[in-house]
Amino acid sequence: MSAAPSPPPELVTLTVDGRAVSVPAGTLVWDACEKAGVFVPVYCAHKKMDPVAVCRMCLIEVGTMPKLQPACATVVQAGMEVRTATDRVQRFRQGNMEFLLLNHPLDCPVCDRGGECDLQDFAQRYGPPRSRTAITGKVHFDKARPLSDRIMLDQERCILCWRCVRYCDEITGDRAIVLQERAVHTVVDTFEGRPLTGPFQGNLPEVCPVGALTHTAYRFRSRPWDLQRTPSVCPGCSYGCTVGIDSRDNAVVRFVSQDNPDVDDSWLCDRGRYGFPELNRQDRVLTAELSLEGPVRAVGALEAVGAAARALAGVLERHDPDQVACLGTPQMTNEEAFCLQWLGRDVIGTPHLDHQLEPWPDLAPDEFRLAIRELEDCDTVVVLGERPEAATPVLTLRLYKAERKRGRQVLRIAADADPTELAGRVRDRGRVGVVAHEADRDRARAVATALAAANGSVHRLTLTEGMNGRGCKDLGLLPGLGPGYRRLDRAGMHGRAILAAAAEGRLRALVVVGPNPEMEQDPAYEAAIARVPLVVALTPVRGLLSRHAQALLPGRTMAEKQGTVTSSEGRVQRIRVALQPRIGAPPPELRLLVELGRSLGGTWESAPLATPAFDVICDAVPAYRGTRGGLRAAWPGTGGAA
Amino acid sequence: MAAEELRILTRHLGAPGVTGLPGYEAVGGYRSLRRALGMTPEAITAEVKASGLRGRGGAAFPTATKWGFLPQDVFPRYLCVNADESEPGCFKDRVLLEELPHQLLEGTLIAAVALQASHAFLYVRGEYRAPRELLDRCVAEAYRAGYAGQGVAGSRFGCELVVHGGAGAYICGEETALLDSLEGLRGQPRLKPPFPAVRGLYGQPTVVNNVETLSNLPYIIEHGGAAYAALGTEASPGTRLFCVSGHVERPGTFEVPMGHTTFRDLIALAGGVRTGHVLKAMQPGGGSMQVLGPEHLDLALDFKAVADAGSSLGAGALVVMDETTCMVDVSMRLVDFYHHESCGKCVPCREGTYFESRLMHRLEAGLASADELLTLADICEHMEGRCFCPLGDTATWFVMSAYRRFADEFRAHCGAGCCPVRAAAEAAA
Repeated sequence: MSAAPSPPPELVTLTVDGRAVSVPAGTLVWDACEKAGVFVPVYCAHKKMDPVAVCRMCLIEVGTMPKLQPACATVVQAGMEVRTATDRVQRFRQGNMEFLLLNHPLDCPVCDRGGECDLQDFAQRYGPPRSRTAITGKVHFDKARPLSDRIMLDQERCILCWRCVRYCDEITGDRAIVLQERAVHTVVDTFEGRPLTGPFQGNLPEVCPVGALTHTAYRFRSRPWDLQRTPSVCPGCSYGCTVGIDSRDNAVVRFVSQDNPDVDDSWLCDRGRYGFPELNRQDRVLTAELSLEGPVRAVGALEAVGAAARALAGVLERHDPDQVACLGTPQMTNEEAFCLQWLGRDVIGTPHLDHQLEPWPDLAPDEFRLAIRELEDCDTVVVLGERPEAATPVLTLRLYKAERKRGRQVLRIAADADPTELAGRVRDRGRVGVVAHEADRDRARAVATALAAANGSVHRLTLTEGMNGRGCKDLGLLPGLGPGYRRLDRAGMHGRAILAAAAEGRLRALVVVGPNPEMEQDPAYEAAIARVPLVVALTPVRGLLSRHAQALLPGRTMAEKQGTVTSSEGRVQRIRVALQPRIGAPPPELRLLVELGRSLGGTWESAPLATPAFDVICDAVPAYRGTRGGLRAAWPGTGGAA
Repeated sequence: MAAEELRILTRHLGAPGVTGLPGYEAVGGYRSLRRALGMTPEAITAEVKASGLRGRGGAAFPTATKWGFLPQDVFPRYLCVNADESEPGCFKDRVLLEELPHQLLEGTLIAAVALQASHAFLYVRGEYRAPRELLDRCVAEAYRAGYAGQGVAGSRFGCELVVHGGAGAYICGEETALLDSLEGLRGQPRLKPPFPAVRGLYGQPTVVNNVETLSNLPYIIEHGGAAYAALGTEASPGTRLFCVSGHVERPGTFEVPMGHTTFRDLIALAGGVRTGHVLKAMQPGGGSMQVLGPEHLDLALDFKAVADAGSSLGAGALVVMDETTCMVDVSMRLVDFYHHESCGKCVPCREGTYFESRLMHRLEAGLASADELLTLADICEHMEGRCFCPLGDTATWFVMSAYRRFADEFRAHCGAGCCPVRAAAEAAA
């Protein structure tokens, strides 16, 4: 979808501490200062929220105005002269810091935010050299007030910047946090003291500039300087939110959001943010295990690959390749998914491969044309049922932003609503976005067709299950569709059919990469796996696969490997190694899959590493060229990389 | 000139039954409204402009100019009547609410005609319970008589009157905090721009006027703007209510023509400084304004003259203090008031008033050191002009002006172990 043609913004030139800077008309002085490279301290202002100008920390001199002006709430004007470093400004900052510290407890040594606290930092940089506050007692409040099982509030540390209140007003719209009392007794609290219940609570400690709001899961766990931050992608769903994985002593201690305006807009959902303990699981498959002949024995991973290859070769000598199948998981990287479809299709020669249960015979990239950010540019967004927002919760915040800040119409309809009645409910003719979960793709198509007839331009965003469900589809880990949705002559069995064939004893061998959350919820899965004579399984965690595999290969969690994943909107993003494997740990899954294929006589032409494997992908799927740096794949007809 | 009241605004005060509709109509009430309904909105505004009427809430902004800020052709528009009179020493709106409620309603409706406002909201201070109940009754009378609601006084103009009680917050007298409170939000001032004239109550163009301001409109429409302007001086037209309290013989509210009356006249109207005592200081304008001394007694009650003396007429109060008054004690009480009433929105006001209050308590008890006087000056410096709204400024004005004028008295408190003024008074007794 092409963005709305907007005229180039009129530029306004002003000076900040003598440096000329040109910014679009309507820009706030605070942003202009940032552009000029001049840091202005502030607590209340937040890039994603409207200004309130309550902390007064950003007061600066403007032209000949007699009073100091808040940089966060003053709009630039041509020729404006902004001064941020005068004696008057510096003296006020010192005075304001003294005010802020007046009732702030001196508990930095036990505060989670110590080391990443704006109050600490600005006190160091702008605060008074000594305390004159001995003459006042401090006002005391509740120091450990659980707002829910996830969030803890320390009302004494709060500096009343209103960010959490505004977050609940402007970003989630649930108005769950309010101010109570007045004057120096003012505190933030939940509305009527009710516990927070929303799915986006974890953003609260991040918008808090001090240690007032903290994560229960991170309380007293670490100091920021002991953490190592690895930029990556949240594995919780297919939305593709960028995260920083903060780890310490080779364990993940928290996820932090990283502002990606195209995707997450700096917000994470709690399911994703607090899902990190999955990466610290102790029930791991750390060595390969073979039970091809006799009892289970632990062996080296590459030795196990060789044994698995010999066993598979034996099956292929006696049976048709049609009696072998490959099952992946939407939690695989693109490189692994591509490699698994190579192993199945090109090396073993079976058409039966899939990463999900249901059949998708007519899949095409136009189901994914609409980008997440473009939702804000649609005049109307139609959301089919509750599944899209259940699958990818952060979508809710983008829809609210489109509604509240852009004035768009967001129409939530039942997934089985009659499409022909819908056209009359769309407010204006114009661009319409249709958002649906992949399970409702047939209905989404009907809705899109009906609206296209009535309204013109309709674009679809289909939300896939699993972190990399989209990548698995793009790269052909599907029956009947090769990499890049290339139609193949031989139709294969889809996931559910593969399980049925296995349960009926029609499969001689199965190569499985797990865990696959969708399949593991299905009782047919274990029954099917247990019936297959030869199961070669690659998985990082113990469970169903480790119980039934004859050749069990150790996998890695997404925090232990690198590669790329593709989000629902087709954005190809890198995941990186956050937890270093210990010395002597088995090779990454990609290498094991490549070695398995090579041992069976297949030709994999690059090194078995993520980066060269991505080049192989780009050769096979031209749409993936030019996606480096987290861009969207350029499918034909989707208007290029967005 | 002899001390004399000039009763314009209060001309019907005490007339039989004037708090009820028949009594008010008997003295000619609602005739001005009927006249206004026959005028164009522009003509009414022109008349108010000719009168030179300035807002009586404290800021003294020209009323017609304020009305003129409303954008053309944006409807609905709202009028809010600011009856949140909470300034220390100020009780003149209460007189108008309790004694002449229909005059206020008439003025409100005249303004609504001029502004083409569909609704007028009367926001009454929370503690003014009796006036609010009276206003409720009067509004009901006005509806029954056809002066409010659809078709005001038989015309095609409609205006709904809504009485709303505050919850007892001083800050809600600030017009944008009043709007937030009226909308059911926390009463806290809004970020400006946009100004209420552009985006006010419920996001619509809104004018907020004080009770006394609006109560002047019936007279102005009846007698013409020029007649009203002739009552005062060119810079300070009309008459004004002043509340005189403190160390005077007969505290009360007095209506005098502006510019032609001095502080001395006003104190004389109130029976003079209490017998056997002499004037030490006086504070015009209510608790917010700077202190004046005996040398200012002959200053005219004129916006400019008082401003030149470093103070302001503010909301029309005069607190008189005689020689027994400890200026540190008075400062402490006023600082405590602002500390109590700070809405808590911005840092310098929320924390500064607290800091100021703690320090003033130490000073009044004679426990502060001389250095702490410098701290006091610092606090005030970092508050004045730095806060979100004027409340923070006003929390510094009296104490700093008292400190400048009575520096010796402030210094005498440092390390004294008690209040020296009180100790001297007790020793004399």
